Amino acid sequence: MRQFVQPPEFDNDETRNNAQAVYYTSAGLIILSLGFIATTLLIAPELTFRSVLLTSVAVPTSVAIMVLIRYRKVRAAGILLTALMWLLITVVAIMAGGVSAPIFFGYLVVILLGGLVSRGGTSIIAAAICIATSIGIAYAETNGMLPPPIRYSPFARVTIYIFFFVIAMMLQSINSRNMKRLLRQTRESEKRYKSLLENIPATTYINSLDPNASTLYVSPQIEKLLGYPREAFTDDPHLWIKILHPEDEHRVMEENQRTTETGQPFEMEYRLITKDQRVVWVKDEAILVQDESGDPVYWLGVWTDITSRKQAEEEQAGLVGMMTKRTIQLQTAAEVSRAASAFLDLNKLLPNIVELIRNHFDYYYVGVFLLDETRDWASLRAATGETGKHMIEKGHRLKVEGSSMIGWCITHGQARIALDVGVDAVRFANPHLPLTRSEMALPLITHGEVIGAMTIQSEKPSAFSRVDITALQTMADQIANAIENARLYTERVSLNRELEARNAELERFTYTVSHDLRSPLVTIRGFLGYLRQDAEAGDMVRFENDLNRIGNAVDRMQMLLNELLELSRVGRIANAPEDVPFEDILREVMDQLSGPLEARGVKLEVTGGLPVVRVDRIRVAEVVQNLVSNAVKFMGEQPHPLIEIGTIGKDTDGKPIFFVRDNGVGIEPKYHERIFGLFNRLDPTIEGTGIGLTLVKRIIDVHGGRIWVESELGKGATFLFTLPTTEDKG
Amino acid sequence: MVGEPILVMLVEDNVDHAELVIRTLEEHKIANKVRHFLDGQSALDYLFHRGEFSVPAANPRPHVILLDLRLPRVDGIDVLKAIKETDSTKTIPVVVLTTSEAEKDVARAYYNHANSYLVKPVGFEEFKKLMDDLGFYWLGWNTNPEIKE
Repeated sequence: MRQFVQPPEFDNDETRNNAQAVYYTSAGLIILSLGFIATTLLIAPELTFRSVLLTSVAVPTSVAIMVLIRYRKVRAAGILLTALMWLLITVVAIMAGGVSAPIFFGYLVVILLGGLVSRGGTSIIAAAICIATSIGIAYAETNGMLPPPIRYSPFARVTIYIFFFVIAMMLQSINSRNMKRLLRQTRESEKRYKSLLENIPATTYINSLDPNASTLYVSPQIEKLLGYPREAFTDDPHLWIKILHPEDEHRVMEENQRTTETGQPFEMEYRLITKDQRVVWVKDEAILVQDESGDPVYWLGVWTDITSRKQAEEEQAGLVGMMTKRTIQLQTAAEVSRAASAFLDLNKLLPNIVELIRNHFDYYYVGVFLLDETRDWASLRAATGETGKHMIEKGHRLKVEGSSMIGWCITHGQARIALDVGVDAVRFANPHLPLTRSEMALPLITHGEVIGAMTIQSEKPSAFSRVDITALQTMADQIANAIENARLYTERVSLNRELEARNAELERFTYTVSHDLRSPLVTIRGFLGYLRQDAEAGDMVRFENDLNRIGNAVDRMQMLLNELLELSRVGRIANAPEDVPFEDILREVMDQLSGPLEARGVKLEVTGGLPVVRVDRIRVAEVVQNLVSNAVKFMGEQPHPLIEIGTIGKDTDGKPIFFVRDNGVGIEPKYHERIFGLFNRLDPTIEGTGIGLTLVKRIIDVHGGRIWVESELGKGATFLFTLPTTEDKG
Repeated sequence: MVGEPILVMLVEDNVDHAELVIRTLEEHKIANKVRHFLDGQSALDYLFHRGEFSVPAANPRPHVILLDLRLPRVDGIDVLKAIKETDSTKTIPVVVLTTSEAEKDVARAYYNHANSYLVKPVGFEEFKKLMDDLGFYWLGWNTNPEIKE
């Protein structure tokens, strides 16, 4: 029963209220209609027809409305009820004779009802219909188209008024209850949202549309985020710009301008400086809020603190970056080391190393310094680019002491970095390397000994860190080993070559010695036999002759042995080189040879300057003596024997070229090489062992010089040789 | 052939050794005549009738050549090459007579068609014996090719 009397439940409060209102109004109408019939039967029978007519319309319609409510068609039911009410009131008003009928108040109820069932719209339509109907009725009444108005007793009138008052009050109360609930709901929801807004771990803000996006509102989380009270942002609407990180300010303002112009959402990650000068990373997301007509109203944005995420990211990026850098460094170092080990020639190795390093690491300049023998100076042996070439040509070298990076690095055997930043900023002042902003010097150490250092320079102000040293020092160590290997290899090659030459010489020596020493023995033994025969035969002339032959052979053997001994001493026993004027040596030799020179009537001329040489004085005197006595020996039939001695220019190494020129028999070009060979003699009729020129060549070789001959048969001979001077120390 | 003078050519730069060879050969009446040359150049000039030796009749072809290897100006091996590469002289037996025992010299001599290689012995008797045998062999037992110029 109760189920039937009450309308069904609705989830929505408003719908439920409306449904109740419509339901109970309809129920009320049914009761009222029945009551009306009863009343008319009792009080005014003449109105019975009318009441029956009205009831017959009102009751079924009301039932239909209640059914609609049951079927949850609240709105349709409401409209139907409004329409029913209008119909009833209009019919009653017409029948009651016009606008003065108290039922006219009913239109008020129709309008209220219209407003209740569906806000606004229906109530306006209802009002319009009611007004139109009222005017229509008034018109009809004025023109006498209506029955004469019923005269209502004051109480009847009041009863009807009261009825409508009650209904109006009821509808209004429902309406106001709805409004109140709505307001409360709105407030609650606002409160919820606000509480949500001000409690989420993000700061919300509202900015104005002006280009500087002045702050209109900012949620209280701001204080926790930035340390400034929220009022600070509304008091100074541009505070948010003032606390932008200087490095981010430009891009943030640029994006702000762009989004202000386009109205596109603003989304950026940037840094802000807190009140206590900390750096906070925020993610700023803002959208342009528009009103219903699509006009922009304000910017609604959210700041989220992403500092920890950024830090983690940065740490990770830093770590990855460092790992990548380290990996590349090690890879490159390995590559450079591998490439370096491929070169065994130091003169190829060093230029390749510097280019490899510069290109692989993209440095500005790379150079390798190697210590000289005295270990006082480090000379630039290879360097990149034209600058490097230029400095090497100039013979760039640095004193091994603390004042230069390279000097310090070699002295301490440790790497060193100099940067053009920070407190210890270094100003790089090498005019050849104007772009250098940071430098790293790495010692080249092999077998625990510093052999030089490498300079690596960059155009970046802080290109190097302590960590770089680890990777690059490994590379430097490898390079030092490669340099040492190349040196050892070069040394070995030259040793091998020397050894081979020595072997060949030894072989030649053994060969010639066995031949040339055997030769006098053959003579001695042979003539010893004849000596006996001579004695037996009593041929004293031949005896004497043969005896002389034996004697000469013995002398010759003696001479051979002496000169061989002399030859073997050269290079084995060396007198310390001394600075001696070549003139002194020459004078000494001339004194020794004055006899033979005078005997042959040789004229001696000295041409060109005679410099001071740094030589083994005794040996070089032997050279001059041999050459001069050879010249005398091979004068031939020359009627005006002349020997010229002097210097003629310098060779490519800057060593002076000495010459001994004669106008004797000369030497055919095909013998020019052979004459320096052991025991090689051109003319057996001229006394000699064939060792002299070999000895001369050996002595010149030991001094690092060179000897050769220029001559043609019959046109005299010129022996030329070079000797070291004081200036060049090799 | 009988009655024709047997000529030995000796190319030797060491005058003492030449004297030893000549004296020994003469003593044993092995060769009628020994012509001695101090260097390779003059020996070749003689063989090829050049310069002072341009009259063939006055400079007859030797029966055998005794050649030292280490010679001034033109080396012994070069003399040997010149002899063996020339049609008119290649048939003349060339006996290398030297102090060198070096394998290299032996090989080079035979490579250049030397007919024999002898090392000068140290010792009077040995030297005489060698010269005897050498004379008997090359000028006695050995049949030499016809001398044709």
